[in-house]
Amino acid sequence: MATLLWFQGGACSGNTMSFLNAEEPTVCDLLTDFGIEFLWHPSLGMELGEQAQALFHALARGEKPLDIFVFEGTVIRAPHGTGRYNMFAERPMLEWVQMLAPQAGIVVAIGDCACWGGIPAVAPNPSDSIGLQFLRREFGGFLGKDFRSKLGLPVINIPGCPAHPDWITQIVVALATGRAHDIALDELNRPKTFFTSFTQTGCTRNQYFEYKQSTMEFGQGTRKGCLFYEFGCRGPMTRSPCNRILWNRQSSKTRAGMPCTGCTEPEFPFFDLAPGTVFKTQKISGTIPKDMPAGLDPISYMGLAAAARVAAPQWAKEDMFVV
Amino acid sequence: MTATVSTKRMDLHVSPLGRVEGDLDLRVIVEDGVVTKAWTEAGMFRGFEMILKGKDPQAGLIVTPRICGICGGSHLYKSAFALDVAWRTELPPNALLVRNIAQACETLQSVPRWFYALFAIDLTNRRYAKAKGYDEAVRRFAPLVGESYERGVTLSAKPVEIYAIFGGQWPHSSFMIPGGVMCGPTLSDVTRSIAILEEFRHNWLESRFLGCSVDRWLEIKTWEDMLAWVDENESQHNSDLGFFLRFGLEIGLDKFGAGCGNYLAMGTYLHHEKYNRPTIEGRNAALIQRSGIYANGRHYEFDQARVREDHTYSFYQGSGLLHPFEGRTEPMDPAEAKRQGKYTWAKAPRYEIDGLGYVPLEVGPLARQVIAGKPGEAWQDVDPLFSDIIAKKGPSVLVRVLARLHEEAKLYKKVREWLGEIDLHDRFYIKPVEHEFGRGFGATEAARGALADWIVLENGKIANYQIITPTAWNIGPRDSQNVDGPMEQAYIGTTIQDPGDPVELGHVARSFDSCLVCTVHAYDSKTGKEIGVYRIGETG
Repeated sequence: MATLLWFQGGACSGNTMSFLNAEEPTVCDLLTDFGIEFLWHPSLGMELGEQAQALFHALARGEKPLDIFVFEGTVIRAPHGTGRYNMFAERPMLEWVQMLAPQAGIVVAIGDCACWGGIPAVAPNPSDSIGLQFLRREFGGFLGKDFRSKLGLPVINIPGCPAHPDWITQIVVALATGRAHDIALDELNRPKTFFTSFTQTGCTRNQYFEYKQSTMEFGQGTRKGCLFYEFGCRGPMTRSPCNRILWNRQSSKTRAGMPCTGCTEPEFPFFDLAPGTVFKTQKISGTIPKDMPAGLDPISYMGLAAAARVAAPQWAKEDMFVV
Repeated sequence: MTATVSTKRMDLHVSPLGRVEGDLDLRVIVEDGVVTKAWTEAGMFRGFEMILKGKDPQAGLIVTPRICGICGGSHLYKSAFALDVAWRTELPPNALLVRNIAQACETLQSVPRWFYALFAIDLTNRRYAKAKGYDEAVRRFAPLVGESYERGVTLSAKPVEIYAIFGGQWPHSSFMIPGGVMCGPTLSDVTRSIAILEEFRHNWLESRFLGCSVDRWLEIKTWEDMLAWVDENESQHNSDLGFFLRFGLEIGLDKFGAGCGNYLAMGTYLHHEKYNRPTIEGRNAALIQRSGIYANGRHYEFDQARVREDHTYSFYQGSGLLHPFEGRTEPMDPAEAKRQGKYTWAKAPRYEIDGLGYVPLEVGPLARQVIAGKPGEAWQDVDPLFSDIIAKKGPSVLVRVLARLHEEAKLYKKVREWLGEIDLHDRFYIKPVEHEFGRGFGATEAARGALADWIVLENGKIANYQIITPTAWNIGPRDSQNVDGPMEQAYIGTTIQDPGDPVELGHVARSFDSCLVCTVHAYDSKTGKEIGVYRIGETG
C-alpha cells in the first residue's frame, strides 16, 4: 500500500483529465491492483472543508505517511512572493507545497506547469508562476536546487501539456512493483525511459521527412508530407514518446496533421507565442529552418536535404494517407 | 466538530469545497438551519487574457484550451470561430462537421465523468444512511470501487478516443484553425470512430446508464413521461439513471438549489451548410443547439453586444460594466481588494434585457434545454421536456442534473449523424488570408455552459482578448446593484441539516458542474487566523 496525495496549483486540470483516460492500469486499477491509496485529489476526494484540512495538516506534520506527492499546475507566487493569487484551504498554496514536499517519499511534478512554469509563466507571467524545481530550463524552481524528497530524490518531472496518462501510471506501477531502481532520470529530471526518444520516433510522416517532402497545406493537404518544414513541427527536436505510446490509444498530433508544439520541453510555448511564430517554421533567409533536428548543424543539414530531395522517389511527393 | 445547528445565526465557511474542479471556497450565512446569504469565492488567478495581449493572432488556439483541461476542446472550438470571424474565412462543410464531432465527444466524455467522479459520490454520504436506496447507492457510486463508478469513469475515456482520431489527442489539441481543421481523415478514421461510439453506446450508455435504447429515452417529452419510464420495466428501473431519479427524489434533491430561474445559452454546433462564412450576425441562425435567453417567463434572442462584465466585487482595479471588446483585466492583491469589499477572482457577467436591466443568468445544460423548448427548425435541437419540467416542478439540483444527463442521449445521436455526413473526398480546410486587423466573436456550449471569446487584432497581433467562461456566469459574484450571482442565489433557502458535514452545499455547487479553473479569473478565501474549515462563528 502506498499513499498518494494530488494537489493543483496554477492548473487547468488537464493532467487530471488525461490521467482519468488511463487504461492498463485505469485509475481504479491503481487502487485495486496496485494498492495505491488516494488520500485526496481535488476531483476525486470525498472530504470537504475541515476534514480535508485536518488530513493535510497531519501529512504536513509527518503524522501520516505520504509516499507520493503529485503536484499539478504552477506554484503561484504573486503578488510580491506571497502566493495570495492562489489560496487553497485557507492559505496560499505555496505554503502547502513548502510543508508537504519535504514529508513525501517522492515528489512528482505532473505537466509542464508543475515542471517548469508552462503557459502561465509566459511573459508577462501575471501570476509570477514557477515550476517545482525548474523555471523554464533553469534549475532551482520553487523548492530550490538542493531539495530532495525523503527517498533522496529531486522532483521527478513528468512534463507535457498535458502529460500522457501512461507517463505517470507506469511510473507509479514501477514504484509499486519494486522497480524504483529502474527509474533513471535525464538532466531535466524526466524519466529517461519516456524522454530519450523523440516525438518523431514512430511518426507516420517519417518517410516524408527522410526525403524532405513538406506538407503544403492543412486539412486535405496533410494526406502527405512532413510538418517540420512549413508548420513549425518540433517533432525532430522534442523528447517524448507521443508516437510510441499513442494518445487515447488512437493517434498523436503529428499523425493527425497537427505540428508538434514541443510541449515536453521547458521552452514550451516556444518563442513565447510572438507574432508570426504559431504553426509556422522559423527560417533563416526564408529557407533554412532556424531550429535544426537535434544534433544537426546547418551545413550538414543542407547537404543532407539537397541530396534527399534529389533522391526522393515519386511516391514521396504523393498522398499516402488517402481515403 | 460540534454540529451546533441552533436557531442562532451562523457563519459557515467551507474551504476547500472539493470536486468542483479547481478551488472554490464558499461562505454562507445560516439562520435557523437555512442559508440566507452566500458568497462564492474563486481562489486562483493566472491571467491568461494578459498573457495573450501582444501575441500571435493564433496564440489563443494554444493558450485558451489550457485555461481549462476539462473543456479544452470547447475552448478550442470557440477560439477558432472567433478567428474565423476576425479573418473572414471560408469553412468547408467537413471542417464544421469535424469540429462539431470533436466538441460533442468532449461533452459525451464529460457527462459520465462528471456524474460518477464528481457528483454521485456525494450520494454515498453517511447522511443518507437511513434512506431506502442507500446501500444500493454505495454499491454503485462509492469512489473508485463502486461498480458503476468504475465502469462509468473508465468508459468515459471512449468518446475522446474519437477526438484523438481527428485531433491527435485529448485533452489539449489545437487542431481547429481558422479556415477549418488540420486533419485529413481517412476511411478507417471514420469507421473506427463509428465503432468506438457504438461500443460506448452498447457498453455504457444503453446497457448501464439508461437501461433502454437511446430512442426509447428520447420519447420522453414530459415529467410524467419520465416518471412512467422509471417504472416501465426492471431494466429502466434499475439503470443508473433510473436509480438516480428514484434516489434523488427520495433524498429530496428536487427540493433545493433552484437558482435565479433565468437562463442563457450561447448555443453551439454550427450547421455544416449554414455557417461557411462565419460572422457574428449570421451565427444565431446557423446553430443546431440554439442560443437564447429565458428570463421572467419570456424567450429573447441572444445578442453578444448585450453582454457585460461587472467587477465591482472582483479582485480587479476599479469597477465597471464593460463589454468584452473593451474588457480590462488588471489584477489586485486580494488582501488590498478585500478592504474594498471585493471577494473573488471571478468577474460577474451580466446580460442586458430591455426593461430588466443587466441581469445574472444561469448557463449550462438546463439553460440549453430550456432554450430548446422554443419552436425551431427540424434540424435544430427542439425539445419540450425541460420547459415542461421547469413549469411543473421548478428548477432544483435534481432537475439541473437530469438536464445534463438527458443531453448525453441526444449528443450520441448527433455525433453518429455527423460522422455519416463527412465527405472524405472533399476539403477540410481553406487557407485564409491572415488579416492584420479584425474583431472576432466565437462561442460555444461547453458541457457546463456558454463559453465565449472576444478577440481584437491590430497590426498582426492580439490587441485585446477576453474570455467569459460558463463558470464565471454561474459562480460569479454580486454586481454593482448588489444582485447575487446565479450559484449564490441557488444556495439561498437551502436547509443545512448538519453544519459539520454540509453535503447540501456540495450538491448545489456540483449540480452546476463548475470547473473553477475555468474561471480565468479565479480567488482567495478569507485569510482567517484559524485553520478551521467549517468555521462556525456566531455573528449575532
